[in-house]
Amino acid sequence: MKDSLVLLGRVPAHPDSRCWFLAWNPTGTLLASCGGDRRVRIWGTEGDNWICKSVLSEGHQRTVRKVAWSPCGNYLASASFDATTCIWKKNQDDFECVTTLEGHENEVKSVAWAPSGNLLATCSRDKSVWVWEVDEEDEYECVSVLNSHTQDVKHVVWHPSQEMLASASYDDTVKLYREEEDDWVCCATLEGHESTVWSLAFDPSGQRLASCSDDRTVRIWRQYLPGNEQGVACSGSDPSWKCICTLSGFHSRTIYDIAWCSLTGALATACGDDAIRVFEEDPGSDPQQPTFSLTAHLPQAHSQDVNCVAWNPKERGLLASCSDDGEMAFWKYQRLEGL
Amino acid sequence: MASPFSGALQLTDLDDFIGPSQDCIKPMKVEKKLGRGVAKIHIEDDGTYFQVSQDGGTRKLERAKISLDDCLACSGCVTSAETVLITQQSHEELRKILDANKTAAPGQQKLVVISVSPQSSASLAARFQLNPTDTAKKLTAFFKKLGAHYVFDTAFSRNFSLLESQREFVRRFREQASSKQALPMLASACPGWICYAEKTHGSAIIPYISTAKSPQQVMGSLVKDFFAQQQHVTPDKIHHVTVMPCYDKKLEASRPDFFSQEHQTRDVDCVITTGEVFKLLEEEGVSLSELEPAPLDSVFSSVSVQEPTSHRGGGSGGYLEHVFRHAAQELFGIHVDEVTYKPLRNKDFQEVTLESEGRVLLHFAAAYGFRNIQNLVQKLKRGRCPYHYVEVMACPSGCLNGGGQLKAPEMPGKELLQHVERLYSMVRTEAPEDVPGVQELYEHWLHGKDSERASCLLHTSYHAVEKASSGLSIRW
Repeated sequence: MKDSLVLLGRVPAHPDSRCWFLAWNPTGTLLASCGGDRRVRIWGTEGDNWICKSVLSEGHQRTVRKVAWSPCGNYLASASFDATTCIWKKNQDDFECVTTLEGHENEVKSVAWAPSGNLLATCSRDKSVWVWEVDEEDEYECVSVLNSHTQDVKHVVWHPSQEMLASASYDDTVKLYREEEDDWVCCATLEGHESTVWSLAFDPSGQRLASCSDDRTVRIWRQYLPGNEQGVACSGSDPSWKCICTLSGFHSRTIYDIAWCSLTGALATACGDDAIRVFEEDPGSDPQQPTFSLTAHLPQAHSQDVNCVAWNPKERGLLASCSDDGEMAFWKYQRLEGL
Repeated sequence: MASPFSGALQLTDLDDFIGPSQDCIKPMKVEKKLGRGVAKIHIEDDGTYFQVSQDGGTRKLERAKISLDDCLACSGCVTSAETVLITQQSHEELRKILDANKTAAPGQQKLVVISVSPQSSASLAARFQLNPTDTAKKLTAFFKKLGAHYVFDTAFSRNFSLLESQREFVRRFREQASSKQALPMLASACPGWICYAEKTHGSAIIPYISTAKSPQQVMGSLVKDFFAQQQHVTPDKIHHVTVMPCYDKKLEASRPDFFSQEHQTRDVDCVITTGEVFKLLEEEGVSLSELEPAPLDSVFSSVSVQEPTSHRGGGSGGYLEHVFRHAAQELFGIHVDEVTYKPLRNKDFQEVTLESEGRVLLHFAAAYGFRNIQNLVQKLKRGRCPYHYVEVMACPSGCLNGGGQLKAPEMPGKELLQHVERLYSMVRTEAPEDVPGVQELYEHWLHGKDSERASCLLHTSYHAVEKASSGLSIRW
């Protein structure tokens, strides 16, 4: 029996433009959206409706590509094609740009806060990944400039509990980084995708990483620590990552985003064929060779490419999505078996 | 292939694997004549292009060539494509000159001068397990065997870079009240840093950079002006080669500011890296340790040099150390014996402070590597730089760790670097003003320390590179 994805509502978030990305705040009460109109909008509910509570319009000169909330929920970072990243401080319903991070040579493609709240990562078409540190006075300093990728870096995401960073690139690889002495180093390169890797998502435990690509597959990677039971070889003290599952044949176009729900473990994908799909791990599947089943498939979720999918961190089954058509949509995902 | 340029230069839009024809926006001046029909182009087997006119006559078409000079003047890209790097400067180029010398008529021969940096020397010393003095003497022997006429040490020209930096700082410190951009003063010896500053920050940062020439370029002036006169040859008859620990120095030598219009010659004709010297040794089938040492040459002929000398303050020249100690003495009458470096957020960012009675008199820093340069520049642009002077170097761990230094396959990089650092610091240091020949050169060659000649020959200027906004440079 197919599970369902029910439309709750649509909002023209960035009219006459693309809506590129959505981010829920840590309490799940606010949603930030950003787009080709160079604006960031903050949305909240009033009864059953989503209303725009704030528009951040003075920050960027070009498209805002991604937004990210700090773990405490008081700051929002916005990454833009104008090569800068703005840090906004929340003051009730108002947001004030407290600092602008400069240094990337061209378009910043992604920004992410580390769970500790002290570190921020950005990545750019200039092929580099930067790690920034924020001190008590809200001063940001560049801690490391990582030049491991050989092409445009599309996405960065932090491990949910370890101080480890992952990046996805046009060079078809995923790279992982950790701190070593006074600098950051690339400790693993995940090869396997046959085209640009667009996005990444760690599972709630942080043991697995999901990647989605222009090659129309989703890959699940697992971390193996040195001395692991399965006999996976590791070099030195660095963990190894192995691809334990590939989901192919489900998407007919590039997969632009992937989101792993921290509450339910469901995997949602945003696809260039305008559809949203949800996968769940089959109960009782082998942890070393898991199998996932397609539990929801909504063609024409939007009228153009779906750019982003985001699970609400507090409300089970609440999924937001946005598209090149400038709209964002809200969905209720529920397994009809009544789990 | 990982780029050989320093990290700072790499971030300035350096595209690996891009050939000049693909992304380069340099307009080529082509002789065009209005014709009646459409020209046909015929391509030969070897890749040369011939234009075939209507009457059947052919004309060989010129290949569009991009020189390093062109690259420097443009903000489009700095390409690491091998063709550009090797075209003008390489050990093969040196070979060509030396070979040509062998068969040239007496009047047509070039006087070949090779200036070796102490960092390259230390790297070779580590590789061949020699002490610095033996390395210098055996290198001299090797280059002379190949056909070079003189082999110098850029530690000598470094004396001038240090002295000029010291004096410039004291002058600017005293001008603080009247000039907003007098301080901080930023070191100028690293071309990776200079190119990055010119291209990415332009007029926001350039006014702060010291105008003192780097040791390589001071040697260029010394060799092509002073030494040429001594040898009774015109500057264009000298082929001046430097041996450097990095590739960025090749770009520095190509700067238009270091080209003499009058004599149509560059101050430094060719830069080869330590690695390229190693290739030369391999090609000759020679191990440096096996060579008989030769006596060392000196720029100032009336001085004989028994051993190389160096400067205190680390493997990147010691700019901070010298400027600090001189400033402490000149400005506050304080003699500083040992300079204490305090590492900050990482080992490539260090601070030095001069305090007296609880007051901070001088606050200096050394910032190596791109991430530290970033933070420095951002602070400076926001008016929040707390330093009076910063020794800026593009390579983490400084020049001894340059991209052109030798690698040891069996030894981990860190261990090798420590080994090279130890060998570098084995060389006896001498205060620049005390080095024999320096004062005499100020007097006889430059006609005084504050003279126009000193200013012209020992200083340079920087140029903000305009961001090209033509349609060709926009990435679609």
